Amino acid sequence: MKNYDTLLTDLAPSKFERKGVIWTGFLLLVVIIGAIAYIEELIEGQITTNMRDYALWGIYISNFVFFVATSFVGSATVAILRLTKNTWRTPIVRIAEIICVASIIMAGITIMLDMGRPDRLLNLFIHGRMQSPITWDVIIIPTFMVASILLLFFPLIPDFAILKNHFKDKKPTWSKWYGILSLNWTGSKKQIKIQQKSIKLIALLILPLGLILQTIDAWLFSTTYRVGWDSTDMGPYFISGALVAGLGALIVVVFVVRKVYKLENYITDFHFDKLGKFLALACLLYLYFNINEYLIPAYTPPKAEEIHLKMLFTGAYSILFWIVLIVGLIIPIIVMLFKKGRKPKAMFYLGLVVVLGSWWKRFLIVTPTLLHPFLPIQGVPESWHHYFPSLGEWLVTFGTLAMALLIITLLIRFLPIIPIQRTADEQEELEQNKNTKS
Amino acid sequence: MRNNYIIRHFFLVVLSVFLCTSSFAQKAKKDKVRLKANYVKIMNNEIYFDIQASAKVDRKNVPVSKVELVIFNVLGDEQLELGKITTNMDGEARFTLKNLNSIKPDSTNTYNIEISFDGNESFKRASKSLSFKNANIDAKLVTIDSINYVTATLVNKFTDSIIAGQSLKVVVQRLFKPLVIKEFNETDEDGTILVPIPEGIPGVNGNLTIEVVLNDSDEFGTVKALVNAPVGTHIVDESTFDQRTMWSPRNRTPLFLLIFPNILIFGIWGLIIYLIANLFKITKS
Repeated sequence: MKNYDTLLTDLAPSKFERKGVIWTGFLLLVVIIGAIAYIEELIEGQITTNMRDYALWGIYISNFVFFVATSFVGSATVAILRLTKNTWRTPIVRIAEIICVASIIMAGITIMLDMGRPDRLLNLFIHGRMQSPITWDVIIIPTFMVASILLLFFPLIPDFAILKNHFKDKKPTWSKWYGILSLNWTGSKKQIKIQQKSIKLIALLILPLGLILQTIDAWLFSTTYRVGWDSTDMGPYFISGALVAGLGALIVVVFVVRKVYKLENYITDFHFDKLGKFLALACLLYLYFNINEYLIPAYTPPKAEEIHLKMLFTGAYSILFWIVLIVGLIIPIIVMLFKKGRKPKAMFYLGLVVVLGSWWKRFLIVTPTLLHPFLPIQGVPESWHHYFPSLGEWLVTFGTLAMALLIITLLIRFLPIIPIQRTADEQEELEQNKNTKS
Repeated sequence: MRNNYIIRHFFLVVLSVFLCTSSFAQKAKKDKVRLKANYVKIMNNEIYFDIQASAKVDRKNVPVSKVELVIFNVLGDEQLELGKITTNMDGEARFTLKNLNSIKPDSTNTYNIEISFDGNESFKRASKSLSFKNANIDAKLVTIDSINYVTATLVNKFTDSIIAGQSLKVVVQRLFKPLVIKEFNETDEDGTILVPIPEGIPGVNGNLTIEVVLNDSDEFGTVKALVNAPVGTHIVDESTFDQRTMWSPRNRTPLFLLIFPNILIFGIWGLIIYLIANLFKITKS
């Protein structure tokens, strides 16, 4: 058993080393460049983007869908693993909650970046029609944001109290802040009861909320009568895709955190093996829905659908389409079927590939469809029939991605990445069980 | 002394040339506005002037939008201001009169109207005169030998005499463009036309609105009479305008979309508020 002091030494937030500072500075720089590009867009209007009458949703919406998908990791790991009583989740659960919070915050911001007139955002609430899936989206995103912050915060309360005492002499300012956040936690029976009850409730709540969020996101597309979107399959297709994106991101962050903070004793090969199996299952599910999404329409395609599928299978987007499907989905499944493929380093690369594949997959869902409306738009320049993001769009998008990573980095910097109290309790329980047996 | 005199005059000349050229340059930049105006009288309904402002800029006709026009009633040398109106983005404006009694005719019983634009930094001042006499169309529906006709008589209102030899158009009102029944119908010596209404014209609940139009007459302007004729082929109005549909405005949202999502929203937010309250409970316990 590790004693409490060792746990605190290992898991209490500690100062960034040089690499950490450089990384944070780099992210900050990308965010600032993105913000400048966005200010220019705000002043000049969306003419600075390459979005036109055809591609009226561009990279921003792809990016938004990616963030929404990634935020599903909170529901997946906390709720699903908790409800299925998978105790191995303990060291990774907080990282999942942090990714969830960062992703949903950035999803909310990204959708505002896509608005031509963000100053009219309030109108979505004032004049929103319940018939519109956009209104549902406007309601569910802040709801999920609040729920995911609560999901992160409740289990942190005892840890804040521990950190308050831990930093009392070393860093009094930190201690003061942790004290405020610990909400006068003394570990009394009443407090534990309320906290446990709340965690149980939020864990139960976050699953349907996550499913609703992903489904609404899918319905934004499927309720729009467009080739490639007009599908009843979209809800589960998006949920399984979100599971893939979220788990991929989780694996990547877990690997980096484990390496940087030297947490090999807490996050072991066993955890990567489990995560690998979980990701393989998610990828298989997603592959199944992909087959449904593309094979069935390809079997009996109406004319418009045929043009769209041809564009994906053999046309302008075919290289990207097959790379995303084969490299981003099929190869990871095959590799993860083998035990060696579920080792930490392999999992890191697979996670990275899966995340990149997930991001481009959203681009493939949004853009090719928009370029083929049922009624072609008359009298527009030829260039409007194609879409590739402008430099400004790329900078803004990289800015949002960097912002998400910055939120994750800062939360990792100031929060205990592995629950201290829970790990201590589990180790104590393990020790007691050993003693009882002997 | 002589040098001073020359210098003073030289500066005066330069200044005058500068002022003249700059004011000329300012004037040269201004474009000429063309005003078009039509007088329209709808029997037992509104009377208005349809005005259109345009200008030739770079050899292209462009609408002159957002300019203020003043409408006058001209009586000899006297001009009575009737009101002001601003053109829309298409350079169009409609000035509605309460009734014809609000303006006065001249000694020949002709109403004279002037529409004036005072000019601005882009356009020169312009005006347009409009003259018309008051005419009425009395139209009604008649049935002769089981055939439905619309009959109309054109009358000079001031002299109370019929107007013969004028062409009236008979149309059925439609949403986008009227359906012409007969384009040219010359009034006979009684100032009357008689036009049969073809069978089979669809109308909501069988109702047709027939217009008899004296179109853009030099003397009388445009005069219209509307006749409600329940002689069309019966169709049911399938408009969902007042119903709760997926495409209605927010005040006519379908009930299931109000009830079910709101139960979800209030349920979820109820739980969230309960969880936030638990944070306070933890603080206090």
